Amino acid sequence: MKKSRTEGLNYKFLILFFAVSACIILAVFVGFIMNETIVYTHFFYIPILLAGIWYRKKAIYVALFLSFFYVLVTLFSPQAELSVHVFERSAIFVVVAYVIGFVSEKRAKGAEKLKETKEYLDNIIKSSADAIAVVDMEGIVRSWNKAAEDYMGYTADEVIGTSNKKFFAESEEAERIMEIVLRDGELKNYRTTVLNKDKKPVHVSMSAALLRDKNGVPVGTVRVSRDVTKEVELEEKIREERDNLNLILESMDDGVYIVSKDYEVEFMNKVLIDEFGKQVGSVCYKVFHDREEPCPRCKNTEVMKGETVRWEWHSRRMNKTYDLIETPLRNVDGSISKLTMFRDISERKRIEDELRETCEKLTELDKMKREFLNVAYHEMRSPLAPIVGYASLLERCEIPDKGRKYVSNIEQCARELEKMINRMLELARIDSRKVELILEEFSIQEAVQEVVKSVEPEAKAKKQVLSTVVPGIEIQADKQKTVAIFSNLISNAIKYTPEGGRIDIMVEDRGENIRVCVTDTGIGISEEHLPKIFERFYMVDTSLTRKSGSLGLGLSIVKEYVKLHGGIVWATSEVGKGSKFVFIMPKRQK
Amino acid sequence: MQKKRVLIVEDAAYMREMLAEMLEQEKESYEVVGFAVNGKEAVEKYKELKPDLVTMDLAMEVMDGIQAIREIKKDDPNALIIAITALGTPEQRNAALEAGADEYLWKPFSIKNLFEALEKLLRKSEE
Repeated sequence: MKKSRTEGLNYKFLILFFAVSACIILAVFVGFIMNETIVYTHFFYIPILLAGIWYRKKAIYVALFLSFFYVLVTLFSPQAELSVHVFERSAIFVVVAYVIGFVSEKRAKGAEKLKETKEYLDNIIKSSADAIAVVDMEGIVRSWNKAAEDYMGYTADEVIGTSNKKFFAESEEAERIMEIVLRDGELKNYRTTVLNKDKKPVHVSMSAALLRDKNGVPVGTVRVSRDVTKEVELEEKIREERDNLNLILESMDDGVYIVSKDYEVEFMNKVLIDEFGKQVGSVCYKVFHDREEPCPRCKNTEVMKGETVRWEWHSRRMNKTYDLIETPLRNVDGSISKLTMFRDISERKRIEDELRETCEKLTELDKMKREFLNVAYHEMRSPLAPIVGYASLLERCEIPDKGRKYVSNIEQCARELEKMINRMLELARIDSRKVELILEEFSIQEAVQEVVKSVEPEAKAKKQVLSTVVPGIEIQADKQKTVAIFSNLISNAIKYTPEGGRIDIMVEDRGENIRVCVTDTGIGISEEHLPKIFERFYMVDTSLTRKSGSLGLGLSIVKEYVKLHGGIVWATSEVGKGSKFVFIMPKRQK
Repeated sequence: MQKKRVLIVEDAAYMREMLAEMLEQEKESYEVVGFAVNGKEAVEKYKELKPDLVTMDLAMEVMDGIQAIREIKKDDPNALIIAITALGTPEQRNAALEAGADEYLWKPFSIKNLFEALEKLLRKSEE
């Protein structure tokens, strides 16, 4: 293209060059050789005209050059005289050149523009991703671009000159489109379904405009169609999902609604519609609360910031309590709506309140019970004092031996009762955390001996052997409680071991701890009872005729005392063979 | 040994009576010189009678035993007081000893317990 333009230039330039040269030769020939005064300047118009057509405004240079030369020849020619006519003619050359150049320029520019526009349009049509087709008033395709070929499968050659009816899934669609375009002069984003060459439906969005001729008579339509199959499929999928979601929301027992940031209700589920009526589009405070302005406790601001808020709301109007979860919902356009789910928890609340009340009542009752028991234990002790006291006095009186024995029994029983009350009192005190360790250093050997000494008469009476193996070490603990632990375990062993049995008390020094074993050859404890013997008031033998009188508190006290020292206690046993009570306790309290 | 003059402080009548009966058993050594039914009365009686020994119940109306021990000891640091506690808790025993009681006896007690405690107290005072 560029090459041919250069060649054209050369050929035009040569002709012009020869024309100008011919004019010069003519002027010299006429001016100097012929010595004539004839007017030859008419020939000058030839190169000026040529230059004007080909080189447009540059023609003026040719005209100026020729005028200058003409003036020179006239000046030096012997015959010719430099007259006004010479300048007049020269001026005419220039004016003619200018006019020709101007007109030629205008024309060339218009043509160029037209060419550019056409190329531009051709490019657009060709490279457009949208199908562009021109259809005349009879429905015959007149133009068919590349994109149309691509997604319809028909080439331009195949369809140009044929009817456009075959493209539509619905046969009337072609006429309908034409009608709309004729009526409105255009068609915008019209959704329709076309069939490609394989008869597969393609969803398109079509825009069309009416083409008119010079006189304004419609001659056809130009149609631009975009393949929106993917969008349509996506929309369908979204719709399906939304339908599913709606179905879930509809079938929920909880109320669900969505409001915009301006409090406008965008959605409400069935539960709410049943209760309040369908009021989508109204403001939530009006719909749900019958208010004229947003509710004071509304969480819209928080939710719009992206927070999820859960709170409880009590409606005095309905006398109901609701559990609300409010969460931001980002819309497709980037705005945020508030999704609120709420559940009527009035019933749960009521039960909770009842439970709380019951619990408070129970706590109060428990406190009362403790206080009562505390007083009761003390009150029970009071009459014991005169019983024991008077019994001991009575022993000194002049009474028969039989009577003396009775009195001694009374005193002993009273002492037993005292012990029981004391244990109950002690456990009550432990429960109220009133019992603390009174720490002192003492010899474990001495402590064990003290206990053994006090129980020896009992063991002797049952002809039992009491054996002790205790290291001569000092421990730091609550002496009174340690003695009580040993006393309880050993007394129990004596109590539950038949005559002639054996009780072994063994204390081991295990560095930081002492390990104590009290082993007997007694009746033993069955597996069923074993895990429960440290529980309060747990009695292995609950029959009224049981031999050993106890309230089952001794072992509870042992457990609590060992625990207070930071130790543990357990028992192993074999029915008929004997039991073994073991406790481990730190030698020193931290 | 000279007879010890005893003041019995006890709010329960049968206990006052019982204590008196017990002391009567050793009348060569002890003589009950008076009774008081509460702490306030005990303090007054003590000043009036100047007994050698006081048996002091702790739980009483108007003024309790602890307070009475404190007042008597303030007035006469040499007073000999045996606290008789019904609660049987270490806290109460300690409170009595801190207030100035010289010995303590837990309820219920036999006549033997009583004289053991009294003798222990007297031995202590003679040392």
